[in-house]
Amino acid sequence: MSGNLIDSAEIRSRRILIVDDEDANVLLLASVLEREGYGDIHTITDPTTALEAYVRLEPDLVLLDLMMPEVDGFQLLEAFKRHDRPDEFRPVLVLTADSTIAARRRALALGAKDFVSKPFDVIEIALRIANLLETRILYQRLRG
Amino acid sequence: MNRAMPARRMTRFWADRRLALKGLVVIALPLAILLGALVSLYIASNAEVRAENDVRRAFAIQRDTYQVHALLAEAAAGVRGYALTGQERFLAPYRKAEASLPPTMVRLDQAIRDREVRERFNRINELTVRKREGLKSIVDLARQGNRAAIEPALVSNKIVLDAMRQEIELIQRREGVLLDQRRARVDEVRGRFLLLTAISAVIGLLGSLAAVYLFSTGIVRRVQMLEANAELLARGEELAEMPDDADEIGRLAQRMARASALLRGREQALRESEERFRLVIEEVQDYGIFALDPQGVVTSWNLGAQRIKGWEAEEILGHHFSRFYPEETRGHLPAQMLERARRDGTAEDEGWRLRKDGSPFWANVVITALHDDQGALRGFAKVTRDMTERRRSEEALRFAREEAIAANLAKSEFLSRTSHELRTPMSAILGFGQLLELDEDQFEPRHREALSQIMKAGRHLLSLINDLLDISSIEAGGAELNLEAIDLGELLQEVHGLAAPIVATAGLKFVLEHPEEALVAWADRRRVIQVMLNLVSNAAKYNRTGKQVRLACQTRGRDIRVEVEDDGEGVVSTEVSRLFTPFDRLGQQNRAKVDGTGLGLALSKRLVESMGGQIGYEAPEQGARFWFTLPSRPRGSHAKGKAGKQAA
Repeated sequence: MSGNLIDSAEIRSRRILIVDDEDANVLLLASVLEREGYGDIHTITDPTTALEAYVRLEPDLVLLDLMMPEVDGFQLLEAFKRHDRPDEFRPVLVLTADSTIAARRRALALGAKDFVSKPFDVIEIALRIANLLETRILYQRLRG
Repeated sequence: MNRAMPARRMTRFWADRRLALKGLVVIALPLAILLGALVSLYIASNAEVRAENDVRRAFAIQRDTYQVHALLAEAAAGVRGYALTGQERFLAPYRKAEASLPPTMVRLDQAIRDREVRERFNRINELTVRKREGLKSIVDLARQGNRAAIEPALVSNKIVLDAMRQEIELIQRREGVLLDQRRARVDEVRGRFLLLTAISAVIGLLGSLAAVYLFSTGIVRRVQMLEANAELLARGEELAEMPDDADEIGRLAQRMARASALLRGREQALRESEERFRLVIEEVQDYGIFALDPQGVVTSWNLGAQRIKGWEAEEILGHHFSRFYPEETRGHLPAQMLERARRDGTAEDEGWRLRKDGSPFWANVVITALHDDQGALRGFAKVTRDMTERRRSEEALRFAREEAIAANLAKSEFLSRTSHELRTPMSAILGFGQLLELDEDQFEPRHREALSQIMKAGRHLLSLINDLLDISSIEAGGAELNLEAIDLGELLQEVHGLAAPIVATAGLKFVLEHPEEALVAWADRRRVIQVMLNLVSNAAKYNRTGKQVRLACQTRGRDIRVEVEDDGEGVVSTEVSRLFTPFDRLGQQNRAKVDGTGLGLALSKRLVESMGGQIGYEAPEQGARFWFTLPSRPRGSHAKGKAGKQAA
């Protein structure tokens, strides 16, 4: 369905930032993305550097873990939101092992565009990532 | 006794007469006696007059009879003289007698009453006529000069006169007797009259005395008693006994007695009520109740106050109530409390107070201002309760509540962390496993088998973790329930569709019994599906010998009951009690190939109970039947959408 609108090569050329304190998870997500053909992947395992990377890299999509030491995902969501222009559409896909409704609601309220609980299905997450990127591209095109 | 009765009855009769009648009697009695005396005097004087008249008449009769005799005798002498002399002047007595005799005879005829005298008078009358005729004939003979005839006429005349004299003497004698009798009667009447006058005087005197006596005993004395009783009534004392006479004074006395009885009854009731009230107040143990004068000095003290504060009544009466206050508040609070009570009518406070031994207690105090009828402040009533125990238990309760909240928070926090800590590595294991599975055609068969085992074990572990976290979060009260009215018929259809593949895989027929009516339950849709799926998949998994799984629901009282039944081997009766215990998979050793975490029924139980329902097992003739109920409408705390403590 997405392929009809946007060239899949354009989607896969987009920059993705992965923020998770667990090396294994970062590696898993990177593997899934590489397998899908994405080329511009950046990973952060130290959440204190996440905002700096976000500002510097200006990614098209962020994969964000919620439960991290020192700076958690909620704080980063707020920081991202403050940094972005109000009319900017820069999707954040929240990944968390905390599957409670409270956590889900809070993340979505803070601006997360999608929510996936761990452990996730690798095919499902690949599809969600592609969908979010497609939306961003469409949005950018609309704004010219 | 018998003789006393009529007298007493008389007295009684008199006492019962009306006052007007008594007054009349008292005044009329002497008057009546006086009148009686006058009447008797009149009668007596009349009788005397009559008697005197009789005497006078007797004298008159005597006089007249003598006169008749004298006139006739003089006339006879004159006639004889005329006959002898022929001189006319001798005829003067004869003529006088002829003129005087008729009226005298008439007078006599009228005066004579006595029968005997009348008989003689008649004879005298006859003789008189004969005598007068005799005299007339002699006169006539003398005029004719017939001397020869005169002499015999004179002789017979003399005989008549003699006879007459005789009769007159008899009359005189008779009249003399009568006169004596009448004189005696006059004397007797006069004597009686004197006696009657004397008696009247005595009776009149006695009557007056009696009237005065009656008046003073019957009326004045009782009016004086009444006055004394009125004085007693005014003082509220018991009235003196008064005779219960039926006259106005008696009735007044009776009414006064009734009024007195009424007043004394009321007074008694009031006194008793006050006494009871006083006793109640004095005996109350849980409340210190005592009175203060307007300055705050203790004027009464009850047992409760003694028990709470430790002072005996005699130790505290007359002291200022500020000594109940601890040093920090003693200077200002007592005065403030009294001021507030004076201003607002009542003042309430809760705080520390001191007992006699100096130990503090937490008191609830109410001070009420007491005013008299004119609105002037008379003092204060103070009620003190010892709330130390309640304050302690409140503090303990508050502490326990805070503890529980903290514990709950800690538990939720722990669950959240555990969830994260367990799922995060599972995420990597299953994620990489899935990546490998995607490329499994590059592996050798034995590696593919190993990968499959890793993934199977990983998924099992994940579902274990999920169930465990579910149960724990329900028990921690953190499970979020989204309670709403759900159509169970529709839900059954959905579950039938979802579970059909599982049942079909087990080679069984899946029978859905549609309810005849629309059944609505108040529950969390997602959780109900979870429970139904768990029961259906259990039935499919453990039914090795039967042919079908049946899903049905119906109304049971105010609840909706859902049944999942199979026709397999059923559950051994000794193991029924352990069905809903976590990790207790029945006959595990024999059923090694059955998948499952062993938490399904335990989780289902907690879910159903958290929605206000019940879950259970019953053995049909063949197979196993699991059932659970759901309320058909919101009840109590479940309506608020949070899992209740029933889950625990």
